[in-house]
Amino acid sequence: MARILIVDDEEHIRTLYTLELEDEGHEVCALESGRNIVEHVESFRPDVVILDIKMVDVSGLDVLQEIRNRFYDLPVILCSAYGSYKGDIKSVAADYYVVKSSDLTELKRKIEQALEARIPQD
Amino acid sequence: MADWILENPENVSEADIVVGIPSYNEADAIAFPTQQASLGLQEYFKGYRTVIVNCDNASTDNTKDAFFNAPCEVPRIYVSTPPGVKGKGNNFRNLFRLVTELGAQAVVVVDADLKSITPRWIKALGEPLLDDFGFVAPLYLRHKYDGTITNNIAYPLTRCLYGRRVRQPIGGDFGFSGELARFYLEHETWNDDVAQFGIDIWMTTLAMYFRKPITQAFLGRPKIHRPKDPAASLGPMFRQVVGTIFHLMEPFAPFWREVRRSRPTAIFGFGLGETEQPPPVNVNVDALYQKFRDGADRYDAAWKEALAPATYAKLAEVRQLEPAHFEFPIPLWAHVLYDMAVAHRDRVLPREDLLDSLAPLYFGRTLSFVRSTEGMALRQAEEYVEDQCLVFEDAKPYLVERWGA
Repeated sequence: MARILIVDDEEHIRTLYTLELEDEGHEVCALESGRNIVEHVESFRPDVVILDIKMVDVSGLDVLQEIRNRFYDLPVILCSAYGSYKGDIKSVAADYYVVKSSDLTELKRKIEQALEARIPQD
Repeated sequence: MADWILENPENVSEADIVVGIPSYNEADAIAFPTQQASLGLQEYFKGYRTVIVNCDNASTDNTKDAFFNAPCEVPRIYVSTPPGVKGKGNNFRNLFRLVTELGAQAVVVVDADLKSITPRWIKALGEPLLDDFGFVAPLYLRHKYDGTITNNIAYPLTRCLYGRRVRQPIGGDFGFSGELARFYLEHETWNDDVAQFGIDIWMTTLAMYFRKPITQAFLGRPKIHRPKDPAASLGPMFRQVVGTIFHLMEPFAPFWREVRRSRPTAIFGFGLGETEQPPPVNVNVDALYQKFRDGADRYDAAWKEALAPATYAKLAEVRQLEPAHFEFPIPLWAHVLYDMAVAHRDRVLPREDLLDSLAPLYFGRTLSFVRSTEGMALRQAEEYVEDQCLVFEDAKPYLVERWGA
């Protein structure tokens, strides 16, 4: 099972994701803001990050850049209520893009795929 | 190593940064990228020793004169294969050799027929090489029907094989380190296809396979060059690109068999301002269908030989579809390519015959791609391409099983 970091400014989303993913045996840490993301990643050491885009205080796409600059191989799944950000070139830096839904089937599938994506070493 | 023809009027013997412009009969076009490269080097690489190199195939249309007569403040070198020796890869090989001799740290290569290049392209493709990156692939907007080999073969295959998402693996405009140039020069997988149009995918694949730090340079403007209708022009380029992908699958199998999913690749160069929309590319869908039909008559025996029975049976269904309902499903396309890769390895047919037999299937898949995306905006078409890649990744266990241990 994996360590999953959720970044979303909506409390009910954080609660829903946390309950569902903990039910699946994952260890979850949920943040309401993407500020200081580097410190949170360093302390929690997630296997995958689920990142909202449209947040009150900061853009998830900028947070994604911060993560990429520092933790290049950390899988990140953008999870937004809006499909339109998929057209933003910055979203290419994410592993996957999922449109929010109360049905987490797609999100769980992407988490599984992100965890599978290990580039073999020598 | 083949001889070369070298003209170095300013006796350049050392350089930090080299811009290479490969060409064959590009007299009417090469002045513009030469000028833009010069401006880019002057503006963004002050303090570095720079040179622009035209790597030519002994063009007969005075490409060399057009290159030397272009407005340019940077020293220039002309290097050419001997007359009669053609091939983009051969031009690159001369470039690798020259770069090694010059001791360059970074190399940027841009196509000679580019009409949309700006000085910032040189910055975007070159600057990451001065940090820790070894290979820079371009990232630009292209019309949804420009680059159909990229969209339907090169991108999905390299992504699912080697696990890195490099959106334009045969984009034609690259950056690579001087160290990587020396590595390319000596690598044993060089062959006749690589010496031609296989060079782009060969360089990208080697960078992926050997885990060179890769980034994608976001170039802001679309790639505008001589567009090609995918129904009208294919020629040897198709054989050389696909043949190179299949060729490299053999020695690199122990690596790609272990890759299960893909990872994004870093992007350099955000903030270049508003992105421009690419110009339209017209596609003759009737010609695509006809080429598929003609190929079905001509290559039926080859398909039966090369494809797995289940793939061949599914293809038989597709062949019976009326033009109005024609569709070449993505999972079938993935299986066709995987079967062909195995057939290529096993030499079930002569290589050229096998790759020629794949071309009409590619036309069929391209027609289906055009139909599926015709009402889509560029962004939606991009999503379609990404979804297609996921189908390839989902189908990869089939390839691994067919390939065997």
